[in-house]
Amino acid sequence: MGTPAIFIENLTKEFTSPSVFARDKITAVDKLTLSVEAGHVYGLLGPNGSGKSTTMKIVLGLVTPTSGRTCIFGRDSRDVESREAVGFLPENPYFYKFLTGSETLDFYGRLCGLGGKMLRDRSRELLALVGLEAAADRRVGGYSKGMLQRIGLAQALVQEPRLLVLDEPTAGVDPAGSHEIRNLILRLKQRGITVMLCSHLLSQVQEICDRIGIMNHGVLIREGALEDLISIENQTELTIENASAALLADLRARAEDAGARVLGAHKPQQNLERYFLEVTGERK
Amino acid sequence: MTAENSSTAATVHASAHKLFSIWRTWAIATNTFRDLVRQKVFYFMLVFALILIGTSLAMASLSFQGQLQTVMDVCLGAMSVFTMLLAVLSTAMLLPKDMEDRTLYTILAKPVARFEYLTGKLVGVTMILLVATLLMTAAFCVVLHYWQGREIENLQLTETAERAAAAIAKLKVGTFTSTLFGGIGIIFLRAIVCATLTLMLSCFATSWLFTVIVALMMILAGHLVPIARSVWQGPVGGAMDVPFHLAILVRLITVFVPDMQLFNVVDDIAVGASVSADVFLRVAGLGAGYVAIYLLVGYLFFAWREL
Repeated sequence: MGTPAIFIENLTKEFTSPSVFARDKITAVDKLTLSVEAGHVYGLLGPNGSGKSTTMKIVLGLVTPTSGRTCIFGRDSRDVESREAVGFLPENPYFYKFLTGSETLDFYGRLCGLGGKMLRDRSRELLALVGLEAAADRRVGGYSKGMLQRIGLAQALVQEPRLLVLDEPTAGVDPAGSHEIRNLILRLKQRGITVMLCSHLLSQVQEICDRIGIMNHGVLIREGALEDLISIENQTELTIENASAALLADLRARAEDAGARVLGAHKPQQNLERYFLEVTGERK
Repeated sequence: MTAENSSTAATVHASAHKLFSIWRTWAIATNTFRDLVRQKVFYFMLVFALILIGTSLAMASLSFQGQLQTVMDVCLGAMSVFTMLLAVLSTAMLLPKDMEDRTLYTILAKPVARFEYLTGKLVGVTMILLVATLLMTAAFCVVLHYWQGREIENLQLTETAERAAAAIAKLKVGTFTSTLFGGIGIIFLRAIVCATLTLMLSCFATSWLFTVIVALMMILAGHLVPIARSVWQGPVGGAMDVPFHLAILVRLITVFVPDMQLFNVVDDIAVGASVSADVFLRVAGLGAGYVAIYLLVGYLFFAWREL
């Protein structure tokens, strides 16, 4: 097994209450240990205030841990160099309103040491990748929420990072945009990029994540491969096409004869997102 | 896919990480400059200063002082006040705005050190202060040139040719002097010191209004530093009897507040006094020292700040 993309060991973060009179400690993250393997899509889930964002910020070196350590591809995440391999999209990002989409990517590219023709080409490719070619010369101040999210994703990818950290990547994005982002994450995964994401859209997490971790009150309460966590071990789903009523009755009888219990039989349904995209003609 | 082709090159380019990169700092500086150029406060203050400089001749005609002295007084005074205000107001907003819009997260999540970010912001503010100072200097030169032309015409009409020639030669030598431009340099340096002080305060302040108020108070208190220092050190030959709380206040002012009296050499220039190169060098050195110290202290606060 190679070096994990993210390695978190015994991480604790305490914040001091801002009140002058009661300097209580608030534990945002409590002795968290987890590892994200390179090339995986990892979903960090949990209710609001569960410590997900704090964990992400510590991984990115934006917040200093009280104790424990975090590493990105084996480098301590407090080292600035570790962020060469990371792209980050915060929740509800805003960018400099006076810059155009293309200038925004130039700015972030220059921060990563890119320049000249290489940066111009990269900006063009990324604008095409996130579907913002037509809006490349428009000021970011006039972008919709979905467009901001997409330019945010493009800036996160500007230096071709090996790890992408996404905080609510589809928040406020319409179903078509959300579907695009999901497909983009899957394409990035195919290219070997590790993705760590926080999202409240559990159906989407279920579709794209290999592993998940569930946090509550700063503690990691469940962690593992998605299939292992959510599959029901003693049940089996059978989907049959063009089955006659007689065949179904026969199957039910055979199952009961063998000591199994048929819990239900129903027509499978496509999910609402797919139906919406088909109806609106935005599915690609 | 072309994105993939460029990926190797991009990664190779980015992997040569330096602790301090002028390239990254310059990217932040130019972006800050572009941001500030679009702020209405910049144009508002610049226009107000230019109007004041432009009307200094009219003020001079109402004054009992010598006309050149009044023009210098008004113009250098306007430049001093507006560059200082511009420095404080434009710097105070930089960090809180980036934090509020979360652009700070996206910047610091890139391989950008916090010191590079702060330095870039300061360089950006310095660039806007330079532009403002140059524009005000240009307006000042136009006013001086116009005044000089008018004076020459007067001399040619009222004096004999020989006396007029001598007076004109003296006038030409005494108007656009190196001391005058050195004084403008000191005004620029003072504005940078004010900007760095404001940047340092915004590194731990939670609101930009607090930063502006405290920065302006510190700048005002800075004019009292020599008095505070004399109280602290006591008069020659005996210690001063100072109450304890006042002694603490005096020490705090002396240690943390910039000595703004240093820069008052501009007032001497405005009244036509000649200032030696040594004085300019001393002021420049101390000004640079303040900038370095405030930037370092600001960085220490910013490095420990939870974002």
